[in-house]
Amino acid sequence: MTDYGVAIGWRPEIAGYVERLPGLRFTEVVAESVHPHAVDDGLRRLVDRGVCVVPHGVRLSLGGAEPVDDTRAAHLAQCAAALRAPLVSEHIAFVRAGGLEAGHLLPVPRTRESVDAIVANVRRAQAALGGVPLALEPIAALFDWPDPELTEGQFLTEILDRTGTLLLLDIANIYANARNRGESPTALLDELPLERIAYVHVAGGSEHDGYYHDTHTDATPPAVLELVKELCARSTPPALMLERDGHYPPAADLTRELDAIAAAAGRPPIT
Amino acid sequence: MKLSERQAALVAALVAGAEVPAGFDHAAVRATAVALRRKRAGEVARTWPLLAASYGGAWTATFAAWAAGRPPNGSLRDGWDFALAAGAALPPLAREELAARAAAFAYDGHTAPVRRNRLSTRLRRLRPPKSGPSNAL
Repeated sequence: MTDYGVAIGWRPEIAGYVERLPGLRFTEVVAESVHPHAVDDGLRRLVDRGVCVVPHGVRLSLGGAEPVDDTRAAHLAQCAAALRAPLVSEHIAFVRAGGLEAGHLLPVPRTRESVDAIVANVRRAQAALGGVPLALEPIAALFDWPDPELTEGQFLTEILDRTGTLLLLDIANIYANARNRGESPTALLDELPLERIAYVHVAGGSEHDGYYHDTHTDATPPAVLELVKELCARSTPPALMLERDGHYPPAADLTRELDAIAAAAGRPPIT
Repeated sequence: MKLSERQAALVAALVAGAEVPAGFDHAAVRATAVALRRKRAGEVARTWPLLAASYGGAWTATFAAWAAGRPPNGSLRDGWDFALAAGAALPPLAREELAARAAAFAYDGHTAPVRRNRLSTRLRRLRPPKSGPSNAL
């Protein structure tokens, strides 16, 4: 796989900053914000200069018990075509049930019934994608479902194996889950099929009421950078991408954060 | 219980004020529900900047308190419903934004607001075409 190095997610609010990064070779855009027939000019310029732009779905609800909505899957496929993306990504999560939208990615139970539902939905999405590879991201959550039948590693490996999908590893989610469960993040890391990594998300969070929240609105904390180091000692992920969603800091702060990620990963800075 | 029912029960606990389903960490599910309302307040603030600004630093807490037990309907409707519920207590700046929205969209309080120009296009399609200039005598 191509080595894209350090990256940052494209968002309209920081589009100018992202576009001016001299070393940028990879980015991601929230798929639901893309109009495939009228792609944003800034995004189009990135695609034209050869930057890999990955559509990242957040509302497919692949982990839902209900079949995935074909219209949403088709939209993701149209985004991939419009952006000439070599892959797309989504989450192992559900976002709606019983006619209610949660407005957020929610965890799924680690049971065989749940694996079957996810595999069926992923295959349905893959049929719509027509051969464009799909990477799946395990999410951060403050709680787990009761009575799991599988460990996190078994659950994830079975889904990836049965669907032939790749892993979008969010290192900040690993940190958040381990910290909120009182477990070791490196032990959790060692459970996962790191050889399947398509790319990595890096992000910041903050502590509220005794929980670590994966907010994407705070700077990446030293503990997450430390985990980036641990990950890169174990594997060489094709890209490590910073996610920022709101409360965007000044450009100088973003540059410092990207440089810190590059240093932790042992990759050249892109700023 | 089927997976679909268990997922529905969890979402109802998170966004509609239902009981936390048995077996879950009660405090962690409640903390997630609070975090979801804070996130929603941020999303509504992006769609309704004047509404949010008119509450200053109290916006997140004020909106989150109102949103408890009210499932999300998207930022446009959420902000609209919040503003209508505030009634006479709505600050002047927010009142202006609400008036601007009401001029741009038709909202019945139950279904997604429709842009007024789109609405009039739709109504025109429903009406029989007006008789225009023609050669008929």
